[in-house]
Amino acid sequence: MQKILEVKNVFKNFGFKKVHNGVSFDLTLGETIGLLGPSGTGKSVLLRSIIGLEEIDDGEIRYHHKRIDNLTEVELYKIRTRISYSFQNGALFDSDSVFENVAYPLFEHTKLNELEIEQKVLNVLKIINMEGAKDLMPSDLSGGMQKRVGLARAMILNPEILLYDEPTAGLDPSNVELVIDVMKKFKQQGISGILVTHDIPTALKICDRILILKDGVINFNGTTEEFENSNDSFVKTFLKYE
Amino acid sequence: MIKNKLKQDMRVIGDVTLFTKDTFYCMLSRPFYLGRFLEQIIHLGIESLSITIVIGIVTGLVMTLQFGYGLEKFGGTLYVPAIVSLSLMRELAPIFTSLLIAGRIGSGISAEIGAMKVSQQIDAIRALGTNPMRVLVVPRVLASILSLPLLATLSAFMGILGGLTIANIEFNMPPGFYINKVLSTIKLSDVFGSMAKCAFFGLVISILACFRGFETKDGTKGVGSSAKWVVVRTSIIILISDFFLSKILILIFD
Repeated sequence: MQKILEVKNVFKNFGFKKVHNGVSFDLTLGETIGLLGPSGTGKSVLLRSIIGLEEIDDGEIRYHHKRIDNLTEVELYKIRTRISYSFQNGALFDSDSVFENVAYPLFEHTKLNELEIEQKVLNVLKIINMEGAKDLMPSDLSGGMQKRVGLARAMILNPEILLYDEPTAGLDPSNVELVIDVMKKFKQQGISGILVTHDIPTALKICDRILILKDGVINFNGTTEEFENSNDSFVKTFLKYE
Repeated sequence: MIKNKLKQDMRVIGDVTLFTKDTFYCMLSRPFYLGRFLEQIIHLGIESLSITIVIGIVTGLVMTLQFGYGLEKFGGTLYVPAIVSLSLMRELAPIFTSLLIAGRIGSGISAEIGAMKVSQQIDAIRALGTNPMRVLVVPRVLASILSLPLLATLSAFMGILGGLTIANIEFNMPPGFYINKVLSTIKLSDVFGSMAKCAFFGLVISILACFRGFETKDGTKGVGSSAKWVVVRTSIIILISDFFLSKILILIFD
C-alpha cells in the first residue's frame, strides 16, 4: 500500500502542557483513518500540525516521503491545495455567499474562467445536496449546512487528503447522515481522509482504520473490526462511554 | 509591574514593526487583489465622504465665527480667510479627519479582522493556500493610505467653503475677496504637506487596526477590546506624531 502521509514521532507542547509526546502513524492512498480520543488530547492540533497551521516541536511529517513540517508558510500554500482541511465550525467567510465561499480556492489556484468555476461549484453543491443555496449567506444556513459547505470548499480542488475536524459534532441525526453521505462520496472519489471525531458510529461507517490518541501518543491503531473487538481495557471503556 | 508593562509594550512595537515589514513586502509583490482593494476604497473612502464633508463644513463655520468676532474687536476681520484656510488645510482637516477615520475605520477593521480570527476564518484563508496578509491587510492599508489624504483635502475645502458662507452672512465679506485671500495664503506645499501627513496617519491607523485584528483572542469580548485598543492607540499616535510631522514639514517647505 502506498503511504501518502507519514507522521513520525511528533512532539508538541503549549507552554508547559505536553500535547503530543511522540505521535506516529501513516495514511495510505485511498484510506480513511478515524482519530479518536478523549477531549483535550490534541486531535485537532494534530490535524492543524499536518497542514502547518501549528508548528510541531519535534518529529517529522512527510507527504509522499517529502518532509513538509519544515516548510515555510509560502511553501505550504501549495501543499494545502493537496491536503485540505475541513474546520469544525465550517469557518465560512461570513461576508461571502455560499457560491463565493466554495469558489474561493478555484479563483485563487486555477485559471478556470467564471463559467467553468460556476459549473464546478454547482456540481460540488449537488454532491452536498445544496444546489439551491448558492446565493445564501453563511448566516442564513443551519450548522449542518455550514459544515457541508465547508466540506465542499475543502474538496473543490480535488485534494488528495481531506482532514475532517469533527464534521458531525453538534448535528442532529438527519444532518449527521447527510454529512456521512458527503464523506462517503468523497471517499468514492478516491480522497483519503483523517477524521477527528467523538462520534464512534460515524467513524465506524466511514473509516478503514481507527487510531486512539491518549496521553500524547497513539494508544490504539487497528482496523474497525479490531477496534470493535479489542480486549484493551481503555478501548473497551472508550467504546462504552463514547 | 512597570518593567513587565514596558517589556510588553516593547514586544508590541517589535511585532508591529515586523507586521509592517511583511505588509510592505506583500504590497510590493504579486499577487495583488485589485477587486478587494476597490471594495476597500468604497468602504473606507467613499462611505466616509458624508461625515467628512459635515465635519469640514462645521469646522469652517465655527472657526470663521470665532475668529471673526474675536478679531473684529481689533479690526482684524480681514485676516479671517487666511487664518481659517491655513489652519484648516495644515492642521484641523488632517487631524479631525484622521481622528474620525481612526474611530470609524480603525475600529471597524480591527473588529472585522478580529471576528474573522476568532471564528477561524483567517486560519481558513491559510488552510486554503492563500496569504491573509495579501487578502486582508494589503487592500485595507493601501485603501487607507490613498483615501485619507483625499478625504482630508476635501474636508479642508468644505471648511473653507463653510467659512466663506458664514463670513459673507455674518461679516458682510464679499466671496470674491474671501477666495482671493485664501488663494494668496494657501500654497501647493500646504496641500501636499497635509496629504503627506494624512497618508502617514492612514498607514498608522490601518496597520495598527489589522495588527490588532490578527492578535484578537478571547471571543467577542476580545473583538470589542481590540476595537477600543486601536482607537485609543491610533488617536494618541496621530496627535503626537502630528507635532513632529508639522515641524518636519515647516523645515522642508517654509
